Amino acid sequence: MLKTRDLLIEIGTEELPPKSLKSLATAFSEQMCLALNEVELDFNDSSWYATPRRLSLLITDLDITQKDKEHQRRGPSLSVAFDKNENPTQATVGFAKSCGVEVKELEKLESGKGAWLVFNTILKGKKTNEIIPGLVEKSLGRLPIAKRMRWGNYNIEFVRPIKWILILFGNKTLNCEILGIKSGATSFGHRYHHPGALEIKSPSGYSDILRNKGHVIVNYNERLSLIRSQISSVAKNSKGNAIIDPGLLDEVTSLVEWPVSFIGNFDQKFLKLPKEVLIATMQDNQKYFPVTNDKKELMPLFICVSNIESNNLELIKKGNERVIRPRLSDAVFFWEWDLKYGLKNHRQSLKEVVYQKDLGTLYDKSDRLVKTLSLIGEKINLDINSAKTAAALCLCDLLTKMVSEFPKLQGTMGRYYAKAEGENNDIAIALEELYQPRFAGDKLPKTLPGQCLAISEKIDSLIGIFSIGKAPTGDKDPFALRRSAIGILRIIIECEIDIDLKDLLSTAASTFSNKNQSLNCINDVYTFLMERLRHYYRDEGFSADVFESVFAINISRPLDFHHRMVAVAEFRKLSEAKSLAAANKRISNLLKKSEEIDSVKIKNNLLVEKSEIKLARKLEDYKKIITPMIDNHNYKSALTELAGLRKVIDNFFDNVMVMCDEPDVKKNRLALLSNLNFLFLEIADISKLQD
Amino acid sequence: MAQEKKQNSTDGSGLSFQELIFELQKYWANQECVIVQPYDMEMGAGTFHPATFLRTIGPEPWRTAYVQASRRPTDGRFGENPNRLQHYYQFQVVLKPSPDNIQELYLISLKAIGVDTKKHDIRFVEDNWESPTLGAWGLGWEVWLDGMEISQFTYFQQVGGLDCKPVTGEITYGLERIAMCLQDCSDLFELAWSRTKKAKVTYGDIYHQNEVEMSRYNFDLANTDALFNWFDVCEKESQKLIEEGLSIPAYEMTMKASHSFNLLDARGAISVTERQRYILRIRSLSREVAQSYLESREKLGFPLVKN
Repeated sequence: MLKTRDLLIEIGTEELPPKSLKSLATAFSEQMCLALNEVELDFNDSSWYATPRRLSLLITDLDITQKDKEHQRRGPSLSVAFDKNENPTQATVGFAKSCGVEVKELEKLESGKGAWLVFNTILKGKKTNEIIPGLVEKSLGRLPIAKRMRWGNYNIEFVRPIKWILILFGNKTLNCEILGIKSGATSFGHRYHHPGALEIKSPSGYSDILRNKGHVIVNYNERLSLIRSQISSVAKNSKGNAIIDPGLLDEVTSLVEWPVSFIGNFDQKFLKLPKEVLIATMQDNQKYFPVTNDKKELMPLFICVSNIESNNLELIKKGNERVIRPRLSDAVFFWEWDLKYGLKNHRQSLKEVVYQKDLGTLYDKSDRLVKTLSLIGEKINLDINSAKTAAALCLCDLLTKMVSEFPKLQGTMGRYYAKAEGENNDIAIALEELYQPRFAGDKLPKTLPGQCLAISEKIDSLIGIFSIGKAPTGDKDPFALRRSAIGILRIIIECEIDIDLKDLLSTAASTFSNKNQSLNCINDVYTFLMERLRHYYRDEGFSADVFESVFAINISRPLDFHHRMVAVAEFRKLSEAKSLAAANKRISNLLKKSEEIDSVKIKNNLLVEKSEIKLARKLEDYKKIITPMIDNHNYKSALTELAGLRKVIDNFFDNVMVMCDEPDVKKNRLALLSNLNFLFLEIADISKLQD
Repeated sequence: MAQEKKQNSTDGSGLSFQELIFELQKYWANQECVIVQPYDMEMGAGTFHPATFLRTIGPEPWRTAYVQASRRPTDGRFGENPNRLQHYYQFQVVLKPSPDNIQELYLISLKAIGVDTKKHDIRFVEDNWESPTLGAWGLGWEVWLDGMEISQFTYFQQVGGLDCKPVTGEITYGLERIAMCLQDCSDLFELAWSRTKKAKVTYGDIYHQNEVEMSRYNFDLANTDALFNWFDVCEKESQKLIEEGLSIPAYEMTMKASHSFNLLDARGAISVTERQRYILRIRSLSREVAQSYLESREKLGFPLVKN
């Protein structure tokens, strides 16, 4: 049995980017494991550690050498290996020489495919500690680093300057040089609590020594949980609840090695600011966690996670309070300035902001939205005037001081400023809802004007960007059009807006100044949307054949499409589904094969067999029942009814020969089947269903 | 926000503004930095000073430290905001190549000005720097002292469109903010600029009127026609001087163009679309200046390269 040891690697650096720390550390560990697998070194387990100043990993029970391996090199074919006199040919001598052996040491390999001279040898496995440096360097080279940097006078590139490298294999230092840095057995503790070197004696003792002597909690997830519980208890002490944004929690975990959380105050007067502004100031600018009371209202408090156990925490608290005050004062300044200036007054200035080269300014865009909305409004029951007002106002907040300071508050500030200007609630809310859904799984607009505005804006982006030839390709989607497309579909389906996509597209396309371009791309955008619809249903757990069955009949109203999807998915569960699907497949094959039938009219006098007479009669009955159901989009009942046809259809196929010799009877039978087929196709192409 | 009286300025504690400068100069002089003087022209940041912008180009080693006034017309608040100024001071340190212990050197400098790094929460928070007008970018951090951004720390990767080899480490101290921390003061106009047993002169004594009047000029009165014209003149001059191989005066013209642009921006005279074009015009001057400076140093045999 091979011996194993634990391997510890720590890359000490200057402060790493907090938003990518976790992905860097996990990638380092993954890449290292991958590299070990590639060289066939086994190990038991791997764990990763990450702090602002280190990326580390621990691999347990790693082989200390590679296994020996049998190796065979194939030389010349036997037919050319020796001459007539049984002397080795030039090729054989050369091969033996290249293997470093005499010809007599070569062996013969014979198989069904031929016979060759071969050289069999055993490759000694390399020692792991000789291999590791190369693997570490390779793994570091594969990290997902957005921008690599250089420093000093070196020709090395990494995410931040490397300060030290610690490698322990078993209890021994593995001496080597990686990215120009000599490895050793020392780590370093917290920047201020223990700036000096820390001897690490064994890989397994790493995290304890760092914690107990170094004031560093190297385990990322442990640090994250600690911070979360500190924040909650600090908030509780002030009778509040902390708002813990998961992204911020990750960021803060990546900014500290020794978290110490505390609560600070800000002036009550700032609570008059919109709560989104207060939260953005605290979270984005200062990495603070906001606190709410029982009624979910913000309290004039913030929680800060510091990186030091100071003997004068009051000093740190006061310092932070001194910082948030001017930040909030600035926010008040922006708020009051924007209120004074007015939202409407930005409309004309939108003419100066280019939306997209070739697609005009933001003003042009908002103008298109006004037009699109009026046209949509004619089709559904929408208060056109408020919708138009909303469309005219919706991009104005992009020019406010608050949104230039906090771009993510676009829409939200529009809502506040519109309300302050006396616009009605629906309009104000629509301005914010325009941007929804902002991400996968985000909430959808609640108001009809908001829904229509959100759809119009997204359709406008799709057509615009497609028309200038910048449609998404592969994994490149710089304008996030896939998200826009899903947004449109989700709103239409989940908010139940019965609107035709093709209509919508030509309506929106007609508002562009370069109509040639915009009208030309309608089909592409439609295909793109349908492709997204396919993904939508896949994510919603519908099976692919259900989608295909509805997709096949070209339904361009997504809401209608959806009703059919639900009905077919239900139908698919019925015991009759399988044989009806098979029957439909058979019918469509028959119809495909046969020449065109001149008439789909069934001539009763040509019906011969009992089972076809029965089918024809049933068909008539079912048509009468089902047509009104389909008209009412009650596809589920329609399909449930149609399931009742199974027996008659099965009987038909069991007893009737469709492609019979008598041409008129045959034609009539095909007409009968065509009618049947048509009845199903009114709902979906059931023949697409798979077992 | 007008003129709130500071509640917690504790006179006598913490370095005065001028002492802060003295200490930093002394500290960095001991680190082999040449203490040069502020440049006698308007600029948006200490990075524009030729002792940074030009000296970071090419292979010659260089260490310098200096105070530089930064003028950012749009940041003016008529002297009414206790935290904002259109004219303020940066203390700039340039170390080329960046030494391995640059962070430690910086932290010791904080101790030298009276910041106890064991009591305060000092952090290096990612902040990547890019100056579109200088065609420059680098990676680094802002340094937080108890949540306050007091310095910027940058490893220059490119300047004037040229790769930095070696890499320069730049440290920029925000002097007013540091002084506010040191003096435990929440109104910068109340900062002690100088403090003796006999008298205290505040930052406001020296600069408040300046802020009021300059804000008025920047926002309301600067002659935009003249500035637009002046921008064009400077641009042409700069191009002409580059052709003559005179990178230093060409660079001065670039800086003048840049400041004219900042004033026009404050006056709201430049539309958003035009804004980008003006930035590109300045950047293209910066790039040509950088190239021309590199060539001129090369002709001189890069005199600061030892051995």
